[in-house]
Amino acid sequence: MIVVLAIDALELALVEAFQPVHLMQKFHGRTDISEFSLPRTMVLWSSFMTGANKEKVVLADGDKEMWNYRFDPEETLFSAFRDPVVIDLPGFSYDLAQHEEERRLLKAFFEAGDDGKKEEVRKAYNDHAFRHHREIKKKFQDAVAGDHDFVLGYFSIADVIGHLNFGNRMLMRMIYRDLDEIAASVKVPKIILSDHGMQAIGIFGDHSGYGFWSSGTADLGTPRITDFRRIIEGMQKG
Amino acid sequence: MLDHLDQLESQSVYIIREAYKQFKDIAMLWSIGKDSTTLLHLCRKAFYGHVPFPVMHIDTSYKFKEIYAFRDRWSKEWNLKLLVARNEEAIAGGMNPSAGDKLACCGQLKTDALKQAIAKYRFRAILLGIRRDEHGIRAKERYFSPRNRQFEWNYKDQPPELWDQYKNQQAGEDHIRVHPLLHWSELDIWKYVQREQLPIVDLYFAKNGRRYRSIGCETCCSTIESNADTVDKVVEELKTTRIAERSGRAQDKERAYMMQKLRSLGYM
Amino acid sequence: MERETLKFVIVGHVDHGKSTLIGRLLYDTGSLPDEKIEEIRKFCEALGKDIEFGYVMDHLEEERDQGITIDTAQIFFNSAKRDYVIIDAPGHVEFVKNMITGASLAEAAILIVDAEEGVREQTKRHAYILGMLGLSQVIAVINKMDLVGHRKERFDEVKRDLLKFLDGIHISPGQVIPISAKNGENVAKGSDSMGWYTGPTVLQALDLLRPKPGAADHPMRFVVQDVYNFSKRIVVGRVESGVVSAGDPLLILPSREKTTVKSIEEFLRTPASAEAGKAVGITTAEKVFVDRGNVLVPPGPPHPSVTNTIRANIFWMDRRPSGPGEVFRFRCATQEAACRIETIHAIRDSSSLETISRDGGEIRNREVADVTLKTEKDVVIEDFNLTEALGRFVLARQDTCAGGIITGFSA
Repeated sequence: MIVVLAIDALELALVEAFQPVHLMQKFHGRTDISEFSLPRTMVLWSSFMTGANKEKVVLADGDKEMWNYRFDPEETLFSAFRDPVVIDLPGFSYDLAQHEEERRLLKAFFEAGDDGKKEEVRKAYNDHAFRHHREIKKKFQDAVAGDHDFVLGYFSIADVIGHLNFGNRMLMRMIYRDLDEIAASVKVPKIILSDHGMQAIGIFGDHSGYGFWSSGTADLGTPRITDFRRIIEGMQKG
Repeated sequence: MLDHLDQLESQSVYIIREAYKQFKDIAMLWSIGKDSTTLLHLCRKAFYGHVPFPVMHIDTSYKFKEIYAFRDRWSKEWNLKLLVARNEEAIAGGMNPSAGDKLACCGQLKTDALKQAIAKYRFRAILLGIRRDEHGIRAKERYFSPRNRQFEWNYKDQPPELWDQYKNQQAGEDHIRVHPLLHWSELDIWKYVQREQLPIVDLYFAKNGRRYRSIGCETCCSTIESNADTVDKVVEELKTTRIAERSGRAQDKERAYMMQKLRSLGYM
Repeated sequence: MERETLKFVIVGHVDHGKSTLIGRLLYDTGSLPDEKIEEIRKFCEALGKDIEFGYVMDHLEEERDQGITIDTAQIFFNSAKRDYVIIDAPGHVEFVKNMITGASLAEAAILIVDAEEGVREQTKRHAYILGMLGLSQVIAVINKMDLVGHRKERFDEVKRDLLKFLDGIHISPGQVIPISAKNGENVAKGSDSMGWYTGPTVLQALDLLRPKPGAADHPMRFVVQDVYNFSKRIVVGRVESGVVSAGDPLLILPSREKTTVKSIEEFLRTPASAEAGKAVGITTAEKVFVDRGNVLVPPGPPHPSVTNTIRANIFWMDRRPSGPGEVFRFRCATQEAACRIETIHAIRDSSSLETISRDGGEIRNREVADVTLKTEKDVVIEDFNLTEALGRFVLARQDTCAGGIITGFSA
């Protein structure tokens, strides 16, 4: 079984600060996403799974519509596997309703008039994200316990919580610890990567211009996100 | 057992005495704020009232008038070798924070003035009152930190400061920065001011429900909401509340920035 | 009566439950404010778990990161008997360096081992460092007993392996305790599931430890930093241990001249005495020669050693290895002398603990070496456990390249 932990917005600088050993594995580093005009989640994961720069394709219908785009399994690296499980990945198996509600709450936060209302919306936004994270965790752990040859778990918690709470380092630290435990529970060869990182703007979190990767077996240097298709297919053959 | 403030005090005095012994031609930077005034008091303690090196004030000409008054009064009372450094050229040329950008103004009026003074007097080390709990990169500072001719600092590759053994040799570095207050917190400074009954510039105390948390040039400082108008009240305030590090204006700017970024990333 | 304080470190493999044990100790002794516990509980709930004490460490680490120390942190809690400080040496990469900096302040250590996994490489490495630092008071704790069904047989097995290894490095723990930090068994409270164990809980074992004697019980050591001549001659320095008082007789090392303390000088004050940690000035009754690097002690024994031959354990921290015959600066307190590494007795890699055999007398970054040093002039040194400041030193080229703990000396 090959496992991929696709952790949205996992930030290299925080990993180095908090030292979560299971997320770091034996080798870790940064990814090169400089070929993209902006670090957009949908664009990056689409490019990851197809192995090609999909910015134009995904953005063709405008960036509100892009969340609905879906790739055919045949176009992706998953087609190399007999019985793959891909959980919640943007552009493939994304839970549209869940993430649309997230964006609605995000907008409501910025539109809220006074500080009291803002905190109410922030709480609702955070609770919504944590509930989804619990569900994803369960799905992921069940899949890993099963008899598949490939499992990908997409974890959006760091990105979603990060947008409104990245400046709350305590909260981010605890989230990284939880992600570290999830990584620790996977005993087979795994690749951990993020699409982009995050940097603090006061209490908020903006996307940073590089991603994170880690591997238990090989030093991948500074790979482009489009290189991972080849890397994972190589792991299968090897 | 020494109490907390005594420990901090002894550690700082030790560092100040080390710097003087190792480098001899040194100066202390006095911004007239609460941190550097504390540092000045520690220097007076270290040398039994006879501070044997100059105390330097970098004057941008935009300081509050209260700052100039405080400086003039206490440099006389404490018998200090006061050096006022100004980038006369830039000031005469009209440099101010609204003329260029703030970074350029600080660069020319503060950094360049300091560079000129160090070059003129050939100081081998400078004592500064910065603390680790101030933001960002300050957390990585060492007690004795080299700066090269361009004032550049290689913070990634710093040697360890093990067991009070500090850097005591220079090779090609322009000067060494010494930070005797690195291990003090903001609350520690105020408690020490309280204990030693140090004079402090009036601006730190509340007037009309507002006070300055840090002071510099009149043009670029802003106040926070507070009713603390004495040292004792400031200490109480710091102990019981976690005042937002930045003013409301900064937060508004951040919110506006985030909204725009999130929009461009397709979230809103 | 002032309460005693005892400082200790907790070491062992990173996954064997150190964070949870610390969290437990704080929680069970009521040393955590209610809001913190509530915050952690809410967060664990959001993640779908029962309250876990590993998150307490997150709170503490975050506070430290916002705070003033960057290398080690201090975590406070107390029992009915005394106050405790856990000196935490964080980070895995810089661990050994931080251990040397931090553990050198500790008086005791808890060594933690996972009951399921048993003794691991990291366990051994940490224990070895404890030995190297002369930390003799060790409590061994075998954690996660809940994962092995609280079985005595498994406990005995792991205990046997651990004691065998520790014996090889001359450490004999005062206690070996079976615990579950997660469930709070045998940490501060007893355990219903381990009736076969009749020894103390971790908290009781800590209360049984002897703290280091207080400043007053240590011999006085004053290390000279400089001599000032403003209005009178004042010898400034720091009291590294013990207490110095006006009127005390003094022996000056290494010159062996004698005098008396005329007064203790602070700015605008003349206190009767000064205790360990204080940076003060002294005036002497006689006009004897005193200089930076001198050590002032009481005339009676025990005395520090005055020697040029030093046996020590050094930890190399520089990318450039040591070269054979290279001359370094030996810096101990305010003393400085040129020195060479005369003999390398053994070198170990600090991550694998493997002995390294190498020709050419080179010590590399992150290696620990047992060496004999020769200094060009006599220096004043002492057993690290008696006076820390005179028992540890650095070797420097332009900057510090190694830290060392003195293990022996000869005249």
